[in-house]
Amino acid sequence: MVITMKKLNLISLAVVVALAGCSDDDDKIDSLTVENTLAVGSEQCINGGIETLTGEDTNKNGELDDDEVTATSVACNDPATSLNAQQLAPLTTNTWFKEAQTKLATSEDNIANIVKESGKAKNVILFVGDGMGISTVTAARILAGQLEGKLGEEHQLSFETLPFSGFAKTYNVDAQTPDSAGTMTAMASGVKTDVGVIGIDEAVVNGNCLSGKGHELITSLELAEIAGKSTGIISTARITHATPAATYAKAANRNWEDISDMPESEAANCEDIASQLVNFEENLTARFPSVDIDGIEVVMGGGRRHFLPKDAAFNSADAVSSVEGDRTDGRDLTAEWQAKYPNGQYVMDQASFDAIDVVNTKQVFGLFNESHMQYEADRSNDIAGEPSLSQMTATALDILDNNDKGFFLTVEAGRIDHAHHAGNAYNALNDTIELSKAVQVALDKTSIEDTLIIVTADHSHVFTIAGYPKRGNPILGKVVAVGETEPSLAADNMPYTTVGYTNGGGFRDLGEETDAEAGYNFAPVTGRVDLTDVDTQSPGFHQEALVPLSSETHAGEDVGVYARGPGAHLVTGTNEQSFIFHVMDYAADLVKQADEKVAN
Amino acid sequence: MKKLIASLLLISPLASASQCALESQYVQANYQVNSEQTTNNTLAQAQQFTLWRTPHQVAEQGSELVEVWQQLSNQQIRPIRYFQAHQRGIEYQPSEVQGEQDWSTKYQLVSDDFIAKMTLKSEQGEGCEQLQNYQLVQGDTKIELAWLVNKKLLSSMRISKPQLTQTLTLDKVKFDKAAVMQQFANWDSFQTTDYADIGDNEGDPFLAKMINLGFIEHGASGFYDAGGKALGGGHSH
Repeated sequence: MVITMKKLNLISLAVVVALAGCSDDDDKIDSLTVENTLAVGSEQCINGGIETLTGEDTNKNGELDDDEVTATSVACNDPATSLNAQQLAPLTTNTWFKEAQTKLATSEDNIANIVKESGKAKNVILFVGDGMGISTVTAARILAGQLEGKLGEEHQLSFETLPFSGFAKTYNVDAQTPDSAGTMTAMASGVKTDVGVIGIDEAVVNGNCLSGKGHELITSLELAEIAGKSTGIISTARITHATPAATYAKAANRNWEDISDMPESEAANCEDIASQLVNFEENLTARFPSVDIDGIEVVMGGGRRHFLPKDAAFNSADAVSSVEGDRTDGRDLTAEWQAKYPNGQYVMDQASFDAIDVVNTKQVFGLFNESHMQYEADRSNDIAGEPSLSQMTATALDILDNNDKGFFLTVEAGRIDHAHHAGNAYNALNDTIELSKAVQVALDKTSIEDTLIIVTADHSHVFTIAGYPKRGNPILGKVVAVGETEPSLAADNMPYTTVGYTNGGGFRDLGEETDAEAGYNFAPVTGRVDLTDVDTQSPGFHQEALVPLSSETHAGEDVGVYARGPGAHLVTGTNEQSFIFHVMDYAADLVKQADEKVAN
Repeated sequence: MKKLIASLLLISPLASASQCALESQYVQANYQVNSEQTTNNTLAQAQQFTLWRTPHQVAEQGSELVEVWQQLSNQQIRPIRYFQAHQRGIEYQPSEVQGEQDWSTKYQLVSDDFIAKMTLKSEQGEGCEQLQNYQLVQGDTKIELAWLVNKKLLSSMRISKPQLTQTLTLDKVKFDKAAVMQQFANWDSFQTTDYADIGDNEGDPFLAKMINLGFIEHGASGFYDAGGKALGGGHSH
């Protein structure tokens, strides 16, 4: 047998075994066997092993020389099933690794401790960031971190710390890219419907009041009312706007916010949204006469115009129109509400809000603006002053938790959507950060044991985070590449921002202007703009847009859903948006409890 | 100018400055805007607009578009844009008063700050008829302004550039409070939409048109052409 020999003492751990011991017979040739340990990663065995050489010691030197080997065999180790501490050290000492291990343990605890049984949520809070798509959450997270002096990317908004999350498919029954009316109806009632429709199923013809008769949906808030829980609605938009309205109203057209918005033919047969809010108790009682319903405890938002007569005599202190009210039926719904709830408090500014007695107050009706409330960054410019979303959330919870049977609260950050429509990321992100603060208030004031908190969006916007900016680059700034200090230049030799819009009004440079809508003075900007000398991080900067439209549009991709509390484990995977209602119902037994009330 | 003088007779010419200002709070002023090429004297543009105002509301009414500004108690300005053919309006959030948001710019078409920068060349009349003539030369642009100081009303403005001359001339003015209030009430009856809500109302044909085609861009102090493009060189900010 011809052996191609190599040096046998290659392996330091080589073992030489004499199969035959010393012999008196000098002519006898000993057979020898040598075992070499093969290292992990060796050519013969990737996981290491043993190489066995056998042969005869023909030169009688007591060693198996290369030319004496007659046979070679290799026994490879099985694949490694574990690594030792030394091998793992590069991982286990790494901060990313350690943080993920900690998170893993926390996640395991979350799964182990989650209350899976239905009906265990005494309280339910649904937060909705209007237009808060995934890119908005990401950018707001980075901005929030950077405002705290961090690089930003590693930061977490309050609701990103919630233990369970999933995705919601937002399309409306008749629309690929949805609007708030159809999406919030899905979340509030568990049934998807058409774009522009509030609280009625898809059988309705948009704008045709009578077509919706018999197709009205019952909402989670209404179920909670029937069940005897306290209920609340908060929004920074008009309280009659699509998202908050979907919790209490039925309307074949989202714009029927007061009677002056309705064609006479429709007003003759259907009630406007503002009126439905004030008449909520009577309307729900009419549907379920056997149940003692006490009305919505907390209503706070904007939209005073829809509750006041079109008469300057009814103007509030911070009216912005010469005639604040829009109602053409002469009704003052704020007075009607006060007459229904004589012990309730109607508030319209910061001072009256601050004076609310949260222990003894049963009902609060807060209308802080003629139309939408201010952007958080613009709030200081309000004439009479108005509370922030987090302040309203805190006050609402302090009132609602006075009910031993629990509560149901919906909180909407309504102006994220408006800032995006105006192509102004600054306000969209800052209002998202304020939503994060409001969620933190709820997390601090409630228990994971008995309160289901869900945070989500109704739909997304065509808002993008693009380019290759380096870590920690200001999220509202121009793209500066890794290792660079000056902005990257595009093919047109001009810098560009990290965040931007696929469509909309495009570039505006309004400096310190905090009102996102101040950009209206300009037609849509087509084409690129040289941003070299522009401070893109200023409140009044409006990002560039590809397709010129006067108003930036919604986007059709999924939105995130984040949850904590009993039943939160059901928020996982990709689901229809209507699934959110069913999670809330499972957690709080809303239908079951309401059924029992109606039956009794 | 004869028309102007005749209209001014509606207010006593002997009125004191303060009385004159009080009596001219409610204004309907028709202006003629001309733009001509200096080189060949051809009339390139000719259009009209009406300035309406009350103490805290101003409107510039063109043939299609009406721009309304309302002054709030905290001095913010709240804009509204009416589309007369559609009897619809777009309402905006009040903006902070800064730069071109100066109320005097809206109220009298030319800001107090700009007048202060000009040189008073001559003065004539008294009371409500007191007329001041100002001039300012900036590079190759000469701006001449005739200012009814006690009415806070622009009588005329002429902007001369090497290639182009633009003039703004007060054609007719009335101080009829009832008529002015009726006009504002008429616009107020139009169906309005918050600017913030346009993006959520693509199903509304009027608003969809706004979204897809854009708004007609308004020009400063009525100096805009039929396409909505500012003629430029109007009052300074």
